[in-house]
Amino acid sequence: MSVRAEQLQRAAWTKASAPKTIGICGIALGILTLSLALPPFGVRTVPTPVAVGILGAAAGIWAISRREARIGWIAVVLSLVGVAGALLAMRATSSNLEGVFVWSALIAATLRYATPLTFAAIGGMFSERSGVVNIGLEGMMLTGAYFGAYGADKTGSWVGGLFIGVLSGALLALVHAIFTITLRADQIVIGTAVNFLALGITGYLYNEHYGNNGTPNNLPAVPDVNLRFLAHIPPHGFGNFLYNSIGQLNLMVWLSLLLLPISYVVMFKTPVGLRIRSVGEHPKAADTLGISVYRTRYAAVTLSGALAALGGVFLSIGFVNSFTENMTAGRGFIALAALIFGGWRPFGAFSAALLFGFSSALAQRLPDLSASESAAWPVLFQTLPYVLTLIAVAGVIGRSIPPAAIGRPYVKQ
Amino acid sequence: MVDEAPVLELRGITKRFPGVVANDSVDFDLRRGEVHALLGENGAGKSTLMNVLYGLYHPDEGEVLVKGKPIRLHSPKDAINHGIGMVHQHFMLIPVMTVAENIVLATEPTHAGVLLDYGAANRRVAELSKSFNFAIDPGARVESITVGQQQRVEILKALYRAADILILDEPTAVLTPQEARELFEILKTLTNEGMSVIFITHKLNEVLEVADRITVLRRGKRIDTVDRQGATEQGLARMMVGRDVLLRVDKAAPEVAESLLSVDDLHVVDDRGLEAVRGVSFNVRSGEIVGLAGVDGNGQSELIDAITGLRRVSSGLVTIGERDVTGDNPSSILDRGLGHIPEDRQLRGLVLEFSLAENLALHDFDKPPDSRWGWLFPRQLIRRARDLLKQYDVRGGGPQTRAAALSGGNQQKVVLAREIGREPSVLIAAQPTRGLDVGAIEFVHRRLIEARDNGKAVLLVSLELDEILSLSDRVLVVYEGQIVAEHGPDVSEEQLGIEMTGGGREVAA
Repeated sequence: MSVRAEQLQRAAWTKASAPKTIGICGIALGILTLSLALPPFGVRTVPTPVAVGILGAAAGIWAISRREARIGWIAVVLSLVGVAGALLAMRATSSNLEGVFVWSALIAATLRYATPLTFAAIGGMFSERSGVVNIGLEGMMLTGAYFGAYGADKTGSWVGGLFIGVLSGALLALVHAIFTITLRADQIVIGTAVNFLALGITGYLYNEHYGNNGTPNNLPAVPDVNLRFLAHIPPHGFGNFLYNSIGQLNLMVWLSLLLLPISYVVMFKTPVGLRIRSVGEHPKAADTLGISVYRTRYAAVTLSGALAALGGVFLSIGFVNSFTENMTAGRGFIALAALIFGGWRPFGAFSAALLFGFSSALAQRLPDLSASESAAWPVLFQTLPYVLTLIAVAGVIGRSIPPAAIGRPYVKQ
Repeated sequence: MVDEAPVLELRGITKRFPGVVANDSVDFDLRRGEVHALLGENGAGKSTLMNVLYGLYHPDEGEVLVKGKPIRLHSPKDAINHGIGMVHQHFMLIPVMTVAENIVLATEPTHAGVLLDYGAANRRVAELSKSFNFAIDPGARVESITVGQQQRVEILKALYRAADILILDEPTAVLTPQEARELFEILKTLTNEGMSVIFITHKLNEVLEVADRITVLRRGKRIDTVDRQGATEQGLARMMVGRDVLLRVDKAAPEVAESLLSVDDLHVVDDRGLEAVRGVSFNVRSGEIVGLAGVDGNGQSELIDAITGLRRVSSGLVTIGERDVTGDNPSSILDRGLGHIPEDRQLRGLVLEFSLAENLALHDFDKPPDSRWGWLFPRQLIRRARDLLKQYDVRGGGPQTRAAALSGGNQQKVVLAREIGREPSVLIAAQPTRGLDVGAIEFVHRRLIEARDNGKAVLLVSLELDEILSLSDRVLVVYEGQIVAEHGPDVSEEQLGIEMTGGGREVAA
C-alpha cells in the first residue's frame, strides 16, 4: 500500500516539476515587474514592466492549467500587482519616488509595524491551537497598551509598564477563558464582548486619569537598541544601509524576533506543544490519555492574552510613546488575519505580519508621491491584509486548515 | 493457555442514569490470557460497563478488582496506571499527527525534560510495532493510513502504556472482512503473550470465532456467562434478545418482472476529483433484490449519490421506469418513484433536531395533504406519523419526539417508514443495518423482503457479506468503481471476498 503511494507520489512529482519551475519563474517575473519601475532601476517606459508582467502572468496561468494552482496563482497575483504598482510609480516624479523608496527606512518601518502584529499573532496561535478562537486579541492588545503606558507612568520605569501591561492582558484573557472554557459560551460572541469591554475600560480610565491633556510627554519608553558597529561594515554604503534598516530598532522589535523561534520550538518540538495541539485537534483523545483539556486551554488562552498585551505595550511605550483611545485601531484583527494567512504557524504568521507591516509602511509614505493630487488611494493598501486573508481562507493559494476542534467547547463526561 | 485466577473482576456494578438503570448489579471477570466477549444489543449496558472500567463513569454500587485488589478509578489515567487500555469504537486518534506522536502523547520521551525526543519516540514505536508484526510506519500521518492500521495504532497506544488488559469496543464495525480476520490473528498473538482482552460486540459470528468465554447482557443485567464450546448462534441470540430470533431470512422465490432501475455506462467523480465510478452498468427489475457487494470506498457511495441526484454524473444514463432522470435534481428523482435509505441515517436520513412527524414528512411536506397554498398542516403530519410509527413498530417516542432521542434501531425504522411508506417503485438501501442490533436487523430485513414481494425493485448496498448473501436474488461485486462480477444468490462468501479485493481478474500493470 505504502509502496504504491510512494510510486504515485514520485510520478506526480516528475509530472509536476516542470509547471512548478515555470510557476516560480512567473513569481520572479512578477516581482521584477514592480522593482523595474522603482529605484535603483527606475525604468520610465510603460511597455517594459507591462511586457514583463504579462510574461509572469502567462507563466502563472500555464502553471495553474497544469495543476500547480498554488504557485500559479501567486505568480498571477504578483504580476498583476506588479504592473499596477509600476504604472502608478511612473506617474510620480523620479525624485519623489526616491523619496518614498528609501529601502532602509522602509525596512525599519516594516519591522516596526509588524512587531505588534507578530506578538498578537503568536499569542493567538497558542489560544487557537488549543481550540479556543480568540477574537479578543484586539481588546487584550488595547488593554496592554493602556496599562503599559499607565504602569510606566506610575512606576516611572518602562519595565514596570511592561510588567503591568502584560498582566492586564493576561487577566482579560482569563475572563475570556472563564466564559469560553468553563461556561462554554460562544467563543466569537465572548471575544467580541472582550473587545468592547477593553475599549470601554481603557477609554474610561484614560479620560479619568489623563483627561484632555493626554498621557505625559515624558513617559518612560522601551529603549532602542543602537547597533552602531553595523555602520562600519564595509563597503560603506552597505554598512550605512544595514545601520539605517536594523541598527536603531526598538528592544521589543528584537524581542518579537526572538519570540519566533522560541514559540516554534515550544509548539512543535516539546511535549507541551504536542499537548496543546492535541487538545485543539481532538480534545477527547487527549482527555482519555490523562491530559487535562481545561487546564491546557486555560494556560494557552492566558498566555495568548499576555503576548497580545506585549504587542499593545510596544504600541504605547515602544512605538509612539503615548496612549490614545482605541489606539490599536484593528491591529488585533489584522494579527488574527496574519495568523490565519500564516496557517497557524509562527513563521507563517510572521511572514504575513511582515507583508502587512510593509503595506502599512508604504501606505504611510505614499502620499509623498503625488503631493499635488488628492491622495486617498494609498489608504487602499490598508485593506491588503483582509484581501489576502480572504484569498487564503477561500483556498485559492493553498488552503489554510484550522485546528480541527477550534471554536468548540469541550464537555467532559 | 488459560490461567484460572482472574486479572480483573467487576462485582455487583450498578450504574443509574436519570430514568434508567444502565447496569444492574453486573458481575464480570476476566482471566489471564483469554478473550472474554461482552455481548448485547445496543443499549444493553455494554458501553456503560466498560466506561466504568475505564474510569469515565463512577459506579453507584459495586467494586472493581484488579489482580485481586479493589481499586478506585477516577479517570482514564487511573485505568491506564492499572494496566487497562481501551480501543474506542470511534478512534481516539488525531488525524493530522503522526503515528508516533499519537502513541507517545502524554507520556513523551524527552531530551532533558524539555524537548520532545522524536528519535526515541519513533524508535520505540517502531520496535513495539515490529514485535507484534504490525508493520506500521511511526512517521506516517494517521490520516494517510488505512482504518485497519489506525486500529492497530490504537492497540499500540495501549501496549505502549504497558497495558495487560485490553478493552475493544465494537472493533470490527469499521473493518472489512479481511481486516477483521487480521484483527483476530492479532488478538491471538496478544493473548499468547499473556494479555487479556474484553471484546465488546453485538455480532454473533465474531463472538464464536474469537472469544473463549461469552457474557451476555440484556437491559443492564447479566444474563449468563458461557464457554465458547457448546455455545450456538441461536442460543446466544435468544439470550441477547430474550426471545427466538430468525437469523436466516425466509423468502419465497422472486417473481421478476420488468426493469425499473437501469444504469448505463455511468461515470462519476468523487470529492477529490478522481473518477470513483468508472463505467458501471446494471439494472434492477421489479420483484428482485440486487445486492452490491464491495469493500468500503470502491465507489458505492458515489454511485448511490449519482443515482439519487446528489452528485453530478460525468457521463452515462440513469433510468427509472421508462424515464431518463440523469442529472435531475434529487426531489424530482424521488418523485419519479425512488425511495432512498441513506447510509448515514443520522447525517442524511434524519434531521435529528426535528420531530418524528416532521422527519416523516421531509419529502412530501410541500404537497397536499401535508400542505396547500403554501400552508403546512401540522396536525395532518402528526396524524400520518402516528399511523406510520405504529406500522413500523417505532418505540421510544411519539410523533412529537425529537429524532435524536431515539435509539439507532428505532431511528432506522423511522427512515424505513418514510421511504417505504411512500410506496416507491425503486428502493435503494445503503447499509440499512449498520450499527443495528439483532432484533432491529431482523425487522429491517423483513421489510426489505416485503418490499421486494410487493413488486418493488430493491438495490441493496452493504459491506456485510452475510446480509448481501441472505437477502439478494442477484449479487454484483464492485471493485475500484467497476462491476467486476455478477452471481446468483448461492455464491460463496469466499468467492465474493476474493473478487471484492481485486483478486480473480487480471491486474493491469
